[in-house]
Amino acid sequence: MKSGNKKIVASVLSLVMITALVGCSNPFATDSSGDHLPDSGDGKQPITFTYFSEDSSTNWNNMNDEVGKVIKEKTGVTLSAEFAVGDPVQKLSLIAATGNYPDLIAAKADVGKLVDAGAILDLTDLINEHAPNIKKMLGDKIVRTKYSLDDQAIYAVPTWSAVDEKKIRADAGFELQHRVVKEAGYPEIRTVQDYEKVIQSYLSKHPVDENGNKNIGMSLNADDWHMYQVTNLGFQTTGGPDDGEYYIDQKTHQATYHFRRPEEKEFFRWLNHMNAIGLLDPESFVQKTDQFKAKVASGRILGLADPEWDYGDGQNALRAASKFDQTYGHYPVTMSKEYKDTSFWLAGFDGGYGISISSTCKDPVLAIKFLDFLASEEGQVLNNWGIEGKHYTVKNGKRSFIPEVQERANNDSAAFQKEAGLGLYWNMMVHYGDGIKDSTGNYFTRNYPELLSLNYSNAEKETLKAYKAKHWKDLFPTEEDFQPRAYGAAYTISLPNDDPSMILGAKMKDITWKYIPEAVMSKPEDFDRIWDAYMAELEKDGVQEMEKIYTQHIQDRIKLWSAQ
Amino acid sequence: MGTANSTTSASRSKNKLHTKSIQDRILEVIVYVSMILVTVLTLYPFLNVLAISLNDSVDTVRGGITIWPREFTLKNYDLIFTYKGLITGFQNSVLRTVIGTVLGLLSGSMLAFVLARNDFGGRRWISMFLAITMYVSGGMIPGFILMKDLHLINTFAVYVLPGLVSAFNIFVIRSFIDGLPYALQESAKLDGANDFVIYWRVILPLCKPALATVALFLAVGQWNSWFDTYLFNGSNETLTTLQYELMKILQSTTTSATNSQDASNMAERMAQVSPESVKMAITIIVTIPILIVYPFLQKYFVKGMTLGAVKS
Repeated sequence: MKSGNKKIVASVLSLVMITALVGCSNPFATDSSGDHLPDSGDGKQPITFTYFSEDSSTNWNNMNDEVGKVIKEKTGVTLSAEFAVGDPVQKLSLIAATGNYPDLIAAKADVGKLVDAGAILDLTDLINEHAPNIKKMLGDKIVRTKYSLDDQAIYAVPTWSAVDEKKIRADAGFELQHRVVKEAGYPEIRTVQDYEKVIQSYLSKHPVDENGNKNIGMSLNADDWHMYQVTNLGFQTTGGPDDGEYYIDQKTHQATYHFRRPEEKEFFRWLNHMNAIGLLDPESFVQKTDQFKAKVASGRILGLADPEWDYGDGQNALRAASKFDQTYGHYPVTMSKEYKDTSFWLAGFDGGYGISISSTCKDPVLAIKFLDFLASEEGQVLNNWGIEGKHYTVKNGKRSFIPEVQERANNDSAAFQKEAGLGLYWNMMVHYGDGIKDSTGNYFTRNYPELLSLNYSNAEKETLKAYKAKHWKDLFPTEEDFQPRAYGAAYTISLPNDDPSMILGAKMKDITWKYIPEAVMSKPEDFDRIWDAYMAELEKDGVQEMEKIYTQHIQDRIKLWSAQ
Repeated sequence: MGTANSTTSASRSKNKLHTKSIQDRILEVIVYVSMILVTVLTLYPFLNVLAISLNDSVDTVRGGITIWPREFTLKNYDLIFTYKGLITGFQNSVLRTVIGTVLGLLSGSMLAFVLARNDFGGRRWISMFLAITMYVSGGMIPGFILMKDLHLINTFAVYVLPGLVSAFNIFVIRSFIDGLPYALQESAKLDGANDFVIYWRVILPLCKPALATVALFLAVGQWNSWFDTYLFNGSNETLTTLQYELMKILQSTTTSATNSQDASNMAERMAQVSPESVKMAITIIVTIPILIVYPFLQKYFVKGMTLGAVKS
């Protein structure tokens, strides 16, 4: 008994000592974490900035990656970074409330919290004096980075939205399996009638698949927020650009809740018709996303009207099973030829999310110079392509990735990114998007049209050839067919949750999400009655007031963006 | 609940001179069937998660995985274990679980012992004080400021110290001590034991069932928590914990799947593992240690129940 007692006392004592040790050693740990500073060769004082970002970055390697080392060497700046995990708003509120500001903060949509706390600097003068690259890149779009009409300060260097970008990939519109258009003899697919016809004829010849399961004409994913993917088809098929839940008149800049346009009623009537003749999957409004994906993966769905990021997993399963003729091509389907598919009507640079410099920053000038280096052509190429000779080579003026490096990037992406650092600094730099060339005539990003072809399957190539197109993009109206919108894209206007248009919007959403499935799944003769009831309920609940408030937001943005 | 049912039915059959009437048999069948149902209901989701975590993620999209992987692979786990920081995280998680549990038990049981003593005058006041913390919390931001002023930010101690005194656990132990005959303490005193000896050699050994329960609460809480790492030690790599690292991995697979930045990503995504599969693999990784610990603590639970039964 006695010896047992001693043992217990001894173990308690040792535990106490361990805690004491751990407790003591840690204050030093904080200090030591910051001193992996480079020996700066060019006389710049090395400095460590603390950085917080609302986005996660799992492969972050404390700038000990190859690209990071070059950045340290060129700027003398090391970042001691922290990335949000879980709900970023909580951590950001803590930062704003406690006054423990990191030197650099990427607050994304919550920048207002920092502004209210007086936590961040107005960058207008800093950019003017110390950031020639940022200034050059933004040009006259710099007004778009202003905070608001009442407070025209620049609180964030816009590092999320690409300053200029040419979208190179069609990844939405309506989709049809390659076997469906092949069997129909590759007719033009331009209107919902064309789309319906090929599905109809294929389905009547092949009602079941090789295992005897029913083929499905068209299926939708309306699980929870995926409902937007269904309702967005309303404006997509009637020539409206993506402006969130609104249709904005391009001349008068009046906002309309887009479902209230008579044109869109006709689209939903067509969906109702598809359901009535048995071409629409009856589970469209009840299935869960994983059920939808499993259906796509089974290859039984002939036609979709869904963005590729949503059905892509299912399509990957088809590719893995070599069922390439059951993968999908993209078509610019609208209600009739008088409407253009607006997939390539780009939102444009929206100012948007970015990096702020805090009021307690050790050296704001050096901080802006650091961001300016990243925004330079050198910085962007460094982040996207890496180091010449190590990751890419330039032959006859053409920059290309070293094949072995590319292979590594494909097969061992996480470890490679950690080691090389490619892409880790993308959201720290003001950057150009895809399809933009640098001063040497090469693309800034590694995402360019020529690369897409490498990924096409034979079935995909066959279909593209039959339509005399190199890429799916070629079937769609191009960016040049559209006038840039004076307000960018309406959905980029971020409004506080208590804004009246947001509160009314939530109400309208509930009504819409109730009535749209009902209208689509009803008997055709009931459609008008249900639609009328839907419109009446919207009006009763104040849709006009909501439109009026939102129109004001649009006008305000136009005013802010056209100010000099 | 289940055990209670079966014991009552067992004791009832004993009362009837060891013969089972038809009624008893029917009851037995009902009990067994419902117990099997409960077992299946609780076991199936776990096996399903295990199967998905061991199944090829592209294949998983096709659906229909039940309790057996269709295309066996360890790729999902492979991806998780390529992240560094897991080892440091694991060490810290084990450390905080062991230290946090042991210290939590010691401090909790000491306080409970004191609160269970009739001759301690302030016991009502202190109990009330503790009870308040069960219903009202200071909130996140005041909590953070408190930790900051105590200089606990960026220390290991922040994992252990704030959780040392938890009102709920103390009440569990105290009510257990209340159930013990006070005569035990009096006789020990007559034998010359001081208060600490009474606590250490009389009360603690008798409290094992309550301590085991509280130890499980503490250990699971310590093992599962990641939010305090994020709040207090997020920027310090040496103080990371396993759950925090796993949370980061989960999040990055989700985001990388939704916004693929460069073209090579398209090919990558094909080969890559889907967030669903990673989520399942992570779930398995975090549950296994608890599954291992549980059987060792379980015997105390059973003991606790029988002990109580005899006394009453």
